[in-house]
Amino acid sequence: MNSLLSAGLILLLGFVGARILKLVRLPSVTAFLVVGILIGPQLLNLVTEEIFTASEFFSNLVLGLIAFSLGENFRLDNLRQGMKQVMWISLSAALLAWVLVSSALVVYFITIDMPIYPAIVLGAAASATAPAATVLVIREYRASGILTELLLKVVAIDDAWCLIFAAMAIAVGNAMRADVFQMSIVFAGLGEIFGALLLGGVLGYLSSKLSRFVRTSEELLVYALGLLFLDVGLSIALEVSVLLSAMMMGLVLVNMRRENYKFFEVLRSVDTPLYLVFFIISGAHLDFSILYKMGIAGILYVAFRMVGKVYGARIGAKISNAPKSVKNWLGLSLTPQAGVALGIGLVAKVTFPDLGNYIFTIIAATSVIFELAGPLLTKYSLVRAGEISPSE
Amino acid sequence: MGAKLLRRIHFPAVTAYLLVGIIIGPRIFNLIPSRLMAASDFVTNFVLGIIAFALGANFKLKDLKAAGKPVIWISVLEAACAWVVVTVVMVVYHILQKIPIHPAFVLGAAAAATAPAATVMVVREYRASGPVTDMLLRVVAIDDAWCLIFSALAITTASALRVGVFSSTVLIHAVAEVCLALILGGSLAVGLYVITRFIASTDEVLIIAVGFIMLAVGLAVRFKLSPLLTNIAFGLVVANIVRESELFFKALRRVDMVLFLGFFVLVGANLEIGILPQVGVMGALYIIFRVVGKFIGVRIGAHISGAGANISRNLAWGLVPQAGVALGVALSAKTLYPKYGELIFTTITATTVIYELVGPLCAKYGLKKAGEI
Repeated sequence: MNSLLSAGLILLLGFVGARILKLVRLPSVTAFLVVGILIGPQLLNLVTEEIFTASEFFSNLVLGLIAFSLGENFRLDNLRQGMKQVMWISLSAALLAWVLVSSALVVYFITIDMPIYPAIVLGAAASATAPAATVLVIREYRASGILTELLLKVVAIDDAWCLIFAAMAIAVGNAMRADVFQMSIVFAGLGEIFGALLLGGVLGYLSSKLSRFVRTSEELLVYALGLLFLDVGLSIALEVSVLLSAMMMGLVLVNMRRENYKFFEVLRSVDTPLYLVFFIISGAHLDFSILYKMGIAGILYVAFRMVGKVYGARIGAKISNAPKSVKNWLGLSLTPQAGVALGIGLVAKVTFPDLGNYIFTIIAATSVIFELAGPLLTKYSLVRAGEISPSE
Repeated sequence: MGAKLLRRIHFPAVTAYLLVGIIIGPRIFNLIPSRLMAASDFVTNFVLGIIAFALGANFKLKDLKAAGKPVIWISVLEAACAWVVVTVVMVVYHILQKIPIHPAFVLGAAAAATAPAATVMVVREYRASGPVTDMLLRVVAIDDAWCLIFSALAITTASALRVGVFSSTVLIHAVAEVCLALILGGSLAVGLYVITRFIASTDEVLIIAVGFIMLAVGLAVRFKLSPLLTNIAFGLVVANIVRESELFFKALRRVDMVLFLGFFVLVGANLEIGILPQVGVMGALYIIFRVVGKFIGVRIGAHISGAGANISRNLAWGLVPQAGVALGVALSAKTLYPKYGELIFTTITATTVIYELVGPLCAKYGLKKAGEI
């Protein structure tokens, strides 16, 4: 098996899988994940080592692509009235998920005589969402309406909240463990956010200025992809958030020149194969054996994250006077959890030598559940809110 | 960026990409991490697959009835003449240098090959069109098949000369390789035909096209067949049996610029420019007489088949580029002949560097002279 053969099979099986699961009305994202699980190392083992090694490169690119396209939704001229709702809802959904998961786990850890700081970090991870899966469900079913619009904005910016929370949680966790509170961790978290916004802003500005040299749409594709690689690469090199910097780049681009919408259009025309491969590889990475290890803490995490998201969004919607469909269904559509949470898990693993691994295991295991159930719930809430036409 | 800059001085983009590749490659700036270099095998094979697939589309049976004869004649003769001329010159040179003559045959066979990728890029960039362009695209598509057969013949002859036994297995292998590649490509096309019915959107067209090409290349590599021929056959059959085939070619054209750019920059980065000083007299002879052979072959072929003067005079310029196929021949020679294989390999690698850089310029020149740019 060589890598090209493997890649070809990934694409074709992804297509076939999506077709088959469409018969039972499951979203393609789920189909891709299932195909990934089937051809992954635990079952058929059709994915070569080389592709696995390349998957880190690849998933960073795809996350950048998603975040970049999310930036397009923030046009300043029609943002004024909606922004208040976005801020309230995203903040309260993220915050409540954190508070509830943390409290539940603190209680649990106290009863089993464990240190409680992992509870704080796990709560912060619970505030993260997964833009990629959400966007794909919306695109596949051509959802449109108030809920869809708000959802796209919320998943775009709640990663910023999540990063702040995570930085705080890790600082607090460290303080509880070692009795020193390192302000520097909080600052590092803030730096990660503002550095990303700055980087994305600068790149967006420059690229808009330079885009007059681009003539054909073929060249535009080369240019847009090159920019994206550059942005993602620089973000990684400078250790700032890939998602936020790519989103900021998209945001700046869309607001600078009217013709810049072409950047998004040209990328959209080619990105589906990338998403397909991304989710299949994510599926192949899913480690089911980890599910046994998550225990009661994992179950609590899943349950209270859901409650936190649903009611957090509801409270935020109420404060900001959002329409009823938003109030009722936005929280549920935020269920997917993936890369961002895992990123926090990885940081925890490095920071806390003793229980870091435990934290990571729980996040990874719950991500398996949320990855599989999330797209279904997102679809369900969009259908219930009447933003996906019933024929789909 | 590089392309924009060089276009000012009227260089084709391919040359620009190659130069950029050389500059950022490991020898000069070293801007490409080793991980990316390691992936270059994957990228180059895939891109060659796309190019070959698109080349296959030029063989629609209904327009081929008219043009079929000249294509066959010209491609056979330009490949054969390059082979014969280079071989003869090399034999003479080797006799004068008092080294065994068998490497001469292999070098000649490698000279028969051309480089579809560079030629196609030039055609696309300048939107060339006309009879010479059409003919050129078809000729570069099939002369690789001749090259494979010739190189098998050459290797057989060379082995016979070296050890005094003539073994026909190499030849049979080569013919089998060509046939199997065609069969593989054809069967994949049937598979594509079947699956086309289930395609609902243009996004899916792209997924299927890319998936099948990767599959074709992957299978070809797996069974040690020529990925180029496999994909040409694949594209050819698709163009003739799938009614919506234009959709696939169109979807690929939307994305392939990016891939081509990556491809040529990587090829540039992989070019061993350090080897250039070793070209020597032999390399110089090879370079000159390969082109001479191509020109004579095209002339004769065009004459026999009654193709126009325009083709007869200008087509050969487009055949100057040389790349992967020739290197493949050299590689097999290297493993076959421990002693002189190295010599063959160095000569072909070094001349490939030159041809890669000069070839696109020649192709552009020829098409311009033919009045098709």
